[in-house]
Amino acid sequence: MKLPSLGFGLGLRKEHYQAILDTSPAVDWFEILSENYLVPGGKPLYFLDAINERYPMVMHGVSLSIGNTDPLDFDYLQQLKDLSERINARWISDHLCWSGLAGVNAHDLLPLPYTPEAVKHVATRIKHVQDFLERRLLIENVSSYVTYTQSEMTEWAFLSAVAEEADCLLLLDVNNIYVSAVNHEFDPLDYLKGVPKARVQQHHLAGHSDYGDYIIDTHDHAVVDSVWALYAEAVKHLGPVSAMIERDDNIPNLAVLMQEYEQMKQVSASALSESVQDQGGAHV
Amino acid sequence: MSELLELQRSMMQWLQSESGDIHHKVLGTEKVSAETRLAIYANAYRYRLIDALSDNYPSVHTLLGDEDFYNDGVEYIAAYPSQHFSIRYFGSHLEKFLAKQHQDTAVLAEMARFEWALRDAFDASDTVSVGFEALQTIKPAAWVALRFTLHPSVACLNLEWNVPQLWAAIENETGQIPFEQAEYPIPWLIWRNALKTYYRSLAVDEAWAINAVMEGKSFSEICTGVCEWVDEAYAPERVAGFISTWLAADLITALDV
Repeated sequence: MKLPSLGFGLGLRKEHYQAILDTSPAVDWFEILSENYLVPGGKPLYFLDAINERYPMVMHGVSLSIGNTDPLDFDYLQQLKDLSERINARWISDHLCWSGLAGVNAHDLLPLPYTPEAVKHVATRIKHVQDFLERRLLIENVSSYVTYTQSEMTEWAFLSAVAEEADCLLLLDVNNIYVSAVNHEFDPLDYLKGVPKARVQQHHLAGHSDYGDYIIDTHDHAVVDSVWALYAEAVKHLGPVSAMIERDDNIPNLAVLMQEYEQMKQVSASALSESVQDQGGAHV
Repeated sequence: MSELLELQRSMMQWLQSESGDIHHKVLGTEKVSAETRLAIYANAYRYRLIDALSDNYPSVHTLLGDEDFYNDGVEYIAAYPSQHFSIRYFGSHLEKFLAKQHQDTAVLAEMARFEWALRDAFDASDTVSVGFEALQTIKPAAWVALRFTLHPSVACLNLEWNVPQLWAAIENETGQIPFEQAEYPIPWLIWRNALKTYYRSLAVDEAWAINAVMEGKSFSEICTGVCEWVDEAYAPERVAGFISTWLAADLITALDV
C-alpha cells in the first residue's frame, strides 16, 4: 500500500544549495517546498535541477488548501504536476488544513473543525487532486492553537477518517503532534496509536518556540529532546518510516544540520533496536 | 450555509479585521484563553505577510524604517489581501500603494518599482541567448526586416530619483546617501545573465531602441527611430552598436528575419 521508503532526508533550503553541490552530503533524499520552485526560471530551478541530479526528491506544498471551500485551483495543480515530472518527485505532500476564502489567501495552515462534514468535504477534494495528479497524496497533520466548538472528534480520529475516506497516505509531523498535544492538553501517544499505521509514509521533525503555556511551531530551532523522545515512540509504534528535518528560519550551516540528521538516524536505529528486543522478549 | 463555510468566514474576518464572532466558535482552556489562541493566528497572518514584503523590498524597508514599514504593511495587507497561491506575488501592488500612501516621498514608490523589477528578473524564465555567430548568418538584405527577441528578464524603467544608487548603498552597506531627483527621468535596464541580476542606466536613444525591440519593431524601424538623436547616416552604426552590446550581455534570445 505504501510507497518504497527513502530513508532519511533534509528539507532543501537555498542557504545550503552551494554546500550541497560542493560536499555531496550523505543525505538519502531532499524534500523541497514546492512553491519555491513554481517560478518561471532562474536560480531556484537551476539549483533544484543540479541537486536533483544527485538526490531523490519529494515535494511538500503549502498552497493546496485542501480544506478550503473555494474551488480547487487547477492551475496550481498543473504547475505542481509539471514540477513533479521535472524532478521525478517520489511523492507529493501538503497539509490537512484550510488557508483562505473567497479568493483571499491567508498563507497560513489553518486548522479544520473535526466534523463528519469536514471529513467528507476534504476527502472528496483529496480524491479529485489524486485523480488529477495521478498519484496518491500525503496529507500532513498541522500544529494548531485553537479548538473549535464544532469539533466532534479528536484530531487523530479526524486525520484517520480523512485518510481512510480518501485512500491517501499520511505525513505524520512528530513535532506538530507534540505542539498540538501541549496546546490542547492531550497525550501524544494516543495520537500515534490512533492513526492507520499502514498509511504513514513520512515523518517530519522540526524545532518550535516554547512560550510556557503554549508552543508555536516555528521551525527556527533544533529539534528538542521531548520531540526526539516522541519520534522514538513513533518509530517503535509505526516501524521504519522515511523521516526528515525541516528548518525554515535561523537556518544553521549544513554541517550543523548534518549533526541533527545523524541524531535522527541514531534515534531511529535505537528505537527500532528496542522495538525488536521488546518483540523478541514477548516471544520468550 | 454549511457549518464549515460559516466557520471559515468567521475566521477570515478575524484574521483580516480582528472582528466578528469567531470568539464564540473556539474554546479556551484554563491555561490559554480563546483570545490568546486567536491572537496567535492574527499575529501570524500579519507578520508572515509583512515578512514576505520585507523579503521582496529590503530597501523600501530600510528607507521607511521598521515602524513605518510595519504600519504601512498592515495597511497594505488590508488594501491588497493576497490572492495568489504563492506568497512570492503578494507584494505586486506595493508601488501603487506607496505612491498613494507617500505622495510627498515619491522615491519610495520608485524604489518599490525597482526592487520588484529585480525580483522579477531573478526568477524570470530561462531562455538560451544567441551569440554573435547567429548575427553573422544574417544576409545583408535581411537586416532591414530583422527583429529581435529579448531575454524574459529584461525590463526598462524610467526613474526620476537616484533609486539604483540608494539601493546599492543599502545593499552594500556603504552608508546613507541623500535622495536626489533628476531633471528628467533616467532610463534603467534590468536583466539577468545566467544566475546574476544586473542593472545599468541607458542613453536616451538606447532606451528608445530597447523599448522598440520589445514592441517588435524591425532593425530599419529602430534606425529610423534613433534618427531623433543621431544623424541619419550614423543611425545603422549606432543601432548595430546597441545590438552588439546586448549580444555581449546575452540579452538577445532570438533573431527573426
